[in-house]
Amino acid sequence: MDASRDKTGLPPASGGAGRAPARRRLGLLDSSRGLGVLLLLPALVLVILFFLMPVVLTGVFAFTNMSTATGISGGAHQVSPGSLRVLTERYGMGELAERLGQPTYLVDERGLAALEETGIAPGIVASLRRGHLDESFASRREFERAIRALPDRPDTRTVKRISDAFSRSLANARFTDAGALVAAAEAIDPDLTPEEKDALASATYTGWSWTTDNFRRLTSSRDTTRVFFNTLFFVAMTLVFFNIGYAMFLAIATHYMPERPAGIFRIVWFLPRISPVVIYVLLWKWVAWDTGFLNAVLSDFGVRPRNWMLDSATQAWFFVIMINGFVGASMGMLIFASAIKAIPETHFHAASVDGAYRWQQVRHIILPQLKWPILFVTCYQTLSLLTSIEQTLLATDGGPGGATEVWSLWIYHTALNNYAGNLQYGYGAAMALVLVVIGIVLSLIYLRLFNYNALITRPRIEL
Amino acid sequence: MNGHQKSWPIILVITILSAPLVLAYAYLFVDTITNSPPGSVVPHEFTLEHWSFLWQTRPGRLSIWRVTLNSLLFATTSAALVVVVSSMAGYVLSRLNVPGRSFFLAGVMLLHAFPAITLIVAIFIVLQMVGLYNSLIGVILVKAAIDMPLGIWLMKGFYDTVPWEIEMAGIQDGASRFTVWRKLVLPQVRPGIFALALFAFLLAWGEFILPQVLAPSGNAQVLSVYLASLIADDNNFDMALFKSVGLFYIAPVLVLFFVFQNYLMNIYGGGTKG
Amino acid sequence: MTISRLAIWAGAAAVALLGNIGIAAAQNVTISVWSGGTGPNDNYRVDAIEMAADILERERAIAGEDLNITVEKKAYPGWDDFKQALTLAAEAGNAPNIVVTGHEDIAPWSQSGLIVPAEDYLNLDAWPINDIYENLMEIASYGGVVYGLPQDAESRPFFFWKPHMKAIGYSDEDLEALPARVQAGEYTLANVLEDAKKMQDAGVVQAGYGFYPRPENGPDYWQFYTSFGGVMEEDGKLVLDKAAMQRFYQFFADAVAAGVTRKNHIGTPNDQWYSEVPSGKVGIWHGGTWHYARYVNQEGLKDFFGNIAFTLIPAGEGGKANTLTHPLVYLLTSKHGEDETTIAAELIKIASEPRINTLHAIKSAHLGIAHQQSNIDLYSSDRWAREATERLLPHANAMPNNTNFGVYWSAMWKGLESAWTGQKTPEQAVNDVEAELRNSLGEAIVIR
Repeated sequence: MDASRDKTGLPPASGGAGRAPARRRLGLLDSSRGLGVLLLLPALVLVILFFLMPVVLTGVFAFTNMSTATGISGGAHQVSPGSLRVLTERYGMGELAERLGQPTYLVDERGLAALEETGIAPGIVASLRRGHLDESFASRREFERAIRALPDRPDTRTVKRISDAFSRSLANARFTDAGALVAAAEAIDPDLTPEEKDALASATYTGWSWTTDNFRRLTSSRDTTRVFFNTLFFVAMTLVFFNIGYAMFLAIATHYMPERPAGIFRIVWFLPRISPVVIYVLLWKWVAWDTGFLNAVLSDFGVRPRNWMLDSATQAWFFVIMINGFVGASMGMLIFASAIKAIPETHFHAASVDGAYRWQQVRHIILPQLKWPILFVTCYQTLSLLTSIEQTLLATDGGPGGATEVWSLWIYHTALNNYAGNLQYGYGAAMALVLVVIGIVLSLIYLRLFNYNALITRPRIEL
Repeated sequence: MNGHQKSWPIILVITILSAPLVLAYAYLFVDTITNSPPGSVVPHEFTLEHWSFLWQTRPGRLSIWRVTLNSLLFATTSAALVVVVSSMAGYVLSRLNVPGRSFFLAGVMLLHAFPAITLIVAIFIVLQMVGLYNSLIGVILVKAAIDMPLGIWLMKGFYDTVPWEIEMAGIQDGASRFTVWRKLVLPQVRPGIFALALFAFLLAWGEFILPQVLAPSGNAQVLSVYLASLIADDNNFDMALFKSVGLFYIAPVLVLFFVFQNYLMNIYGGGTKG
Repeated sequence: MTISRLAIWAGAAAVALLGNIGIAAAQNVTISVWSGGTGPNDNYRVDAIEMAADILERERAIAGEDLNITVEKKAYPGWDDFKQALTLAAEAGNAPNIVVTGHEDIAPWSQSGLIVPAEDYLNLDAWPINDIYENLMEIASYGGVVYGLPQDAESRPFFFWKPHMKAIGYSDEDLEALPARVQAGEYTLANVLEDAKKMQDAGVVQAGYGFYPRPENGPDYWQFYTSFGGVMEEDGKLVLDKAAMQRFYQFFADAVAAGVTRKNHIGTPNDQWYSEVPSGKVGIWHGGTWHYARYVNQEGLKDFFGNIAFTLIPAGEGGKANTLTHPLVYLLTSKHGEDETTIAAELIKIASEPRINTLHAIKSAHLGIAHQQSNIDLYSSDRWAREATERLLPHANAMPNNTNFGVYWSAMWKGLESAWTGQKTPEQAVNDVEAELRNSLGEAIVIR
């Protein structure tokens, strides 16, 4: 390998002198600092766009009550039955709610004048004045019936414009901002007090508002504890039994094996990692479903068919941990295997001369050498498992009865899944923030653990 | 290796443990071209009917070829992006003297703790702001960004193994740092670039949740979402069909894997060590 | 010229002016429609819009307008993906013009401004809207404003597999009388468990297949809450009746304890459930009117009426027999041009034409939305539509249109799941639901 490096390295090096003029033109590309910044730029852009901004946004969202109903990009002011109830119950302004919220349509000169201004056919205005002046209607439908009965029989769009012009309440009106709302309210009732205006504005606001409720909800919800311990259980079990334990077994077992079978087994156990998750989980379902492989085999022995994956919480955990563990085991297997390979042969020879059994080799020679790889895999996989979601989502979706709901899945279910079309972005963001903080703290600890500074060698060319 | 003569018990144990996995993958092949009587796992006839999705587009779905093309575009573009961005940034972190270098390197490690799913709503907002929601380009960017920390880390590792002398020689010949990188250093890490490209391609090819949430509909659908929606659709429970689509989907992965397994295993065995 | 003729002329001019004068220029409009929970039998949910477009083009052509409508249809087989995709698309400003979804989305989506009131664009007194059942129009409204037009109606019956019922001693006459006995409250949910147990003891169904409910979350489960006397909403405020909720949870815990329902039933693939229930593998279950189409068209059930009896959801302790109707509605989304939305509104109006709606009603075995459908032969000669309408619809409730209902629903389902699977006792489950709702909804829900 080294020899070939030199070969490919040499010819361009000699051609480098010919590029000297280019050097002046591209001054930025010539200094370590300039080039460094330039080469880092694309990575920085991606990091800012898809890591930093989302984290900041998540941090912001976590302190809001954002949901589908409030929208993300801001709200409007809508006088709905819900907001009128808030006005009545929270602010004790039932009378105001009644006054503004009761649909009223009044044909008066003011409305007629406004209508004329919109450029509507004068005949319509005339016949409205003639037939309905000073008449009032308690529902839009009723009023529109009257409009449609006019000799002109305006089309639907015109009818809507006319009824709008005579509306003398705020019932079901929607305003883009508080100013428009208050102006409209004052047009109906000029004597509104400032408190009433404020209450009206805040009760009718449809958008999100700042709140720390999400965290209060999180700390007081019983689900939090359950999901938290589920997550802990999931990470610990998968880590201990598969990502470390089984990976170690595979690495050591393949070590004591001729090269050929060892290679085959490594390939087999690498399959789960490279298989696309959708098909990988499908294979597990095929094994476990009511009509699946396991039942087809077991039915010959008189075992009642069942959905093995969801039969009980224990079984669901068993599968979730296996499904995730099989994927995770390959990483540890390879890292441990290469670490074992790095152990000098002489160690083993010395041990066999001493008549040590294999188990003692493992215990006294291999395991001590694997201390750092184990620590590394533990750290790396803890973070991966904390945030793993796809396998569990596709396999049990947190079931049965929320038994396998882990934190990341909980975020997904809260923020992106709701049967009644009202996704809880704010609450989900608060949960996500918790995970982000845990992730950062853990990684900082790990960096310290692995003596991070040793990883950086100082550049030897100061240019 | 030690004790070859007595390795058969271990081989036996590990064979038994591997059997279910091998069986599951074997049946992935078998079930797509055979029919089995209900309640049995032994096929009784050969058939190609499960593959009809290749030439018959189901109503309300995209043609499988269109979806495959999307997947191919998605995986290759995002792999290319990961390779370009990481081979640039990795070099900086390995060799160049930029302010905040160690900070950035630590940052790359930290980014691993920020997986997409926890931030997906916010990522959606960002995509929406730049007008790339529900487009292939949007998911490509996000996927590339998410795989990038690992890519940078790997490339840094590969650059670290390149001898300084090569660069010294280049600089002494009067080449700019840029030229040295392009002409001298990059060829040295070609195997690393190839491995990373392969790895990023496979990661993107298998990605499910990002396209599912960020490009769910219309013409941007990729194979993972296609297959998942086929399984989720409760109008066509047909395990053999799922498996046929699944085999079609996984076949390129298996081919690439069997041909280039050494490259891929090296990434885990060596690249992330440290 | 008399004044009135002048007025007519002026009115006509105004109409022409406002009505987007396009006499010469051809107008090309693309209207997109997305529909949730739409399988192969439900294609008319979106196809009806296409048919309506054809009619509207012809109507406009007669008026001298060259209107060209392209309809982009997208049907999602499930609900979760649909609602996620739709809400995110709407947030990103590219929602489809028309959405076909459950009526319960009206409250949150109208608050967020995702949808606009249909009544802003439609003459509610015109045909065919004036023929739509008044209660369905109410379900499509929120706060007195009509937001959408009902797309279909349905209701959710209890099903009994007749041969198995006979195997445990029911005669044909008994089965004939069963619907009336259920309605009168003489045959209750307690009897359901008894009979399911008997079927299993008699060996006609396997253990766990006596009572085989819907295997996933759905509006259906509110029926059981209602059966045990629960109320979802009162005077516009959500209500959690703890005692009723606990009896409802207890019922499913009892079913599991008696072995007639599987503990791990939730999560059974839907398609598996659909194929098992009409095959005689199951004794008693519940579903919706559309199951008829599914069983007959897709699952190969030859003789529906010979094999299956259907009734209201039987009463439980403290409540009465009931069923739930969960109409889908056509909704118009915001952030589109006025002209486009006007055309979209016209389309959903025309799609509600009884004859067009009947195609959907009969093909998918949903119920009609308008009075006149009973005068359309296709509808009236369909035994299922006729009997289901008579037997079920008069007793149908609907879920409330309330912004916070989604939170309530999620909590209810989570509680049920945990009681069902034995994670918690029904009492614990209800207490946790209460705690969760107090925590998340506060004053917006009445708990008693």
